[in-house]
Amino acid sequence: MYPQSQTTSLQRLQNVEKRIVRVLELAGGVMEEMGNPSGPRKELVNGSCGEFMQSVKDIQLTLREEIKSACEYRPFEKCDYVPRISNEICCKKLEYVIAQIDEMKQTIEGYGDAS
Amino acid sequence: MAGDLKVSLDKLPIKRLDAIEENGFERFPFDVGYDEKRVNLTRRIDFAWVVEREDPNKKQKKESATSANDVTTNNQQSWQWQSLVENLQLAHQELSVIIDLINTVEANDSVTVAGMTRPKQLPCEHLSDLAVSTTTKLQSFRHLGKNFKQSAKALEEQVAREARFYGALIRLQQNWKVKRHRLVAAASGKEGFYIDLSDGSLYDLASAFRPSSMSTILVEHDAAGMLAVNLPQNSRRYLHLEFLGFSSAYYGRNYNVTKLQTLSEKSAKETREEHASDDECVRGIHSILRDVYRAIYDEHVFDLVNREACSPSLAANLTGIRENYLRLSIDQEASVSISLLISDQVHQTSRASNKNSPNEATDEALGSFDGLNFGAGIEKAKISGIPNRVGFEIYLRQLYHEYAFVRSKNAATFSFGTRSASQSVKDSSNILGHFCMSIAHRIFSNKVLLVLESLVCRTPYIQLISHPTWRSRSSTWILSMKIPQSILQAGSQFQLCSSGNMKNVRSQFWTKVVVIDDSIKVEGEGAPNVVGLFKGKADGFCAVDGFNCDLADLPIILLQQIASHIIQWLHEEALVVGIKASRDFLSLAFELEHGEVVSLVAHVDPDNIDGCITWWLIMDDVPTEEHKLHSDVGESESRKFLGYLSLDVLYSTLLDFLNLCSC
Repeated sequence: MYPQSQTTSLQRLQNVEKRIVRVLELAGGVMEEMGNPSGPRKELVNGSCGEFMQSVKDIQLTLREEIKSACEYRPFEKCDYVPRISNEICCKKLEYVIAQIDEMKQTIEGYGDAS
Repeated sequence: MAGDLKVSLDKLPIKRLDAIEENGFERFPFDVGYDEKRVNLTRRIDFAWVVEREDPNKKQKKESATSANDVTTNNQQSWQWQSLVENLQLAHQELSVIIDLINTVEANDSVTVAGMTRPKQLPCEHLSDLAVSTTTKLQSFRHLGKNFKQSAKALEEQVAREARFYGALIRLQQNWKVKRHRLVAAASGKEGFYIDLSDGSLYDLASAFRPSSMSTILVEHDAAGMLAVNLPQNSRRYLHLEFLGFSSAYYGRNYNVTKLQTLSEKSAKETREEHASDDECVRGIHSILRDVYRAIYDEHVFDLVNREACSPSLAANLTGIRENYLRLSIDQEASVSISLLISDQVHQTSRASNKNSPNEATDEALGSFDGLNFGAGIEKAKISGIPNRVGFEIYLRQLYHEYAFVRSKNAATFSFGTRSASQSVKDSSNILGHFCMSIAHRIFSNKVLLVLESLVCRTPYIQLISHPTWRSRSSTWILSMKIPQSILQAGSQFQLCSSGNMKNVRSQFWTKVVVIDDSIKVEGEGAPNVVGLFKGKADGFCAVDGFNCDLADLPIILLQQIASHIIQWLHEEALVVGIKASRDFLSLAFELEHGEVVSLVAHVDPDNIDGCITWWLIMDDVPTEEHKLHSDVGESESRKFLGYLSLDVLYSTLLDFLNLCSC
């Protein structure tokens, strides 16, 4: 897994999804404009259709690139479960040591108070 | 006969197809019998006009009777619509007759309809048709537009929801194995993701390991569509080790271990709150997964312990067994229990043992004590040598990790045909045995340490140094005696004065106590070398020598070692100073003028509260080496009790002798 490119490719795909939503909105807008009883406004319709076509083209480009650059699926080559459990054990050891040191500190402070 | 003549045409009496199916099967209508045909024909004769002729006569009579009585104004409106209705009905009738005719004509092969032409539309009709079609088109456009916008909104919401879900899933994927059941996904309509916590490489496939039921965790959606993980409550069990009878000794202390477990549960509850941020959500799930993974690992550890405890090869230490619970005895004094507990059960057992619940009462072989009195509990634990249970819990986990991991590594290298290094591989039957022996060793070495501490407390010039061995079954301490700097400086003056006797007087003497399992070995330079004594060698520097001893004999032996070190040192100093002195095991004899011999004798008493090493001065004409001193003999003319002397005082005593002796 490549973490840094993964977030950007995820972002790109999320942008594609947002674009599709936008495209749908444009289509809806154009339809409503066509259903306008006083006739559709040409510049609005032209602009929306132009944006629609451009977005579809962008979407197509992005998807093609993402599909080409999708990495090969290697199932869990670098599974880190074993080091994970050894880290958990180390964590426990550290907690234990911290507790011991805290006790020592308390003892020292106790001596300090006594003296 | 009044009325028009009506003509009806029959279908030709040939077989007509009713329907034909895709596979070519032809369906014919039922054959109607001859009589039935006749009846059908008679039915087709329309006698309606006859009936109508008779009925209207009756109707008109009625109407004329009633109309004269009714108010005409009321009926005028209904009369207007009534004519419209009648006209429409007549038109409808005519149309249906025509349609019937057309259909009948069409059904016959012999007659075909050449064509039907619509009558030319009037311009207003044309316009109205156009208007209607335009309006419907506009209507459908608007409808479409609304549809598109609605679906855009719905898609946006779904995209946002899924973005949260998949964003969280990707973050989880960086740390955990996220897999997908494609068939389940297709069947149930959900995505079918799950998190796999099992690790094939860690566990030996040949052993009877089955992946835990907890190791597959389904990824679900919570109410807001965000990723959520639902686990049954109290399904996770953790390893818990306890020394029976001392459960409360170390619970009073502020251990973060149990704290962390409750923290993770708290965060698990927080993820169910509606307004938890995505970050907190993912972190909550991470900690849940961590907990589950630790629980799975603890389960495996307990599995191994169980298997080894029940195998016959283990020296019979098992004294009790229940579900998720094992009790082993270490030596005759201590008992340890290893169990799998749900985390809040841990608190319960600590409280229960304080209250002497029936379960624990039988386990407490060492008596009960007040749970609130943590200080007393700790003291009692110290005296019995019981170590901290947390340390050994961790150690058990570590042993298992080394066993599993090394085995898996060796299994991996084995597949390439190379021989694995066997010295690092622990035989499977030894883990629990090794662990129990480690506990036994620790208990024993704690007792040894108590003895050493009590000795060193009462002997001010001895230092106790711990020597870490990094082995769980051996411990080492060093008792070191350092000659104070003041004496060394004074001694160096003498070295400069005297001629020839340039010797490096040792300034540090050490005795090493090595405990391996439960055998004690005392080592040290300057161990009493009988041969050296007979030869009267001044530099009785011996090679490091050691011998074994019991715990009971340890104090005496150590004190004797220390005392002999002091004697050695005094002897060397005497030689430097220029006094003629001879050394025995625990005494130093000085030859005075006139041939008198004065001995400085050390007396060791490990039970003496004030101090362990006391000094006596014995004056005799005959050197009394075999003379034994008892404290009850008391002082006499030839014996003087000097008391507990520090090294400085001893050195100055030595210098006093310098004045008395003949140099």
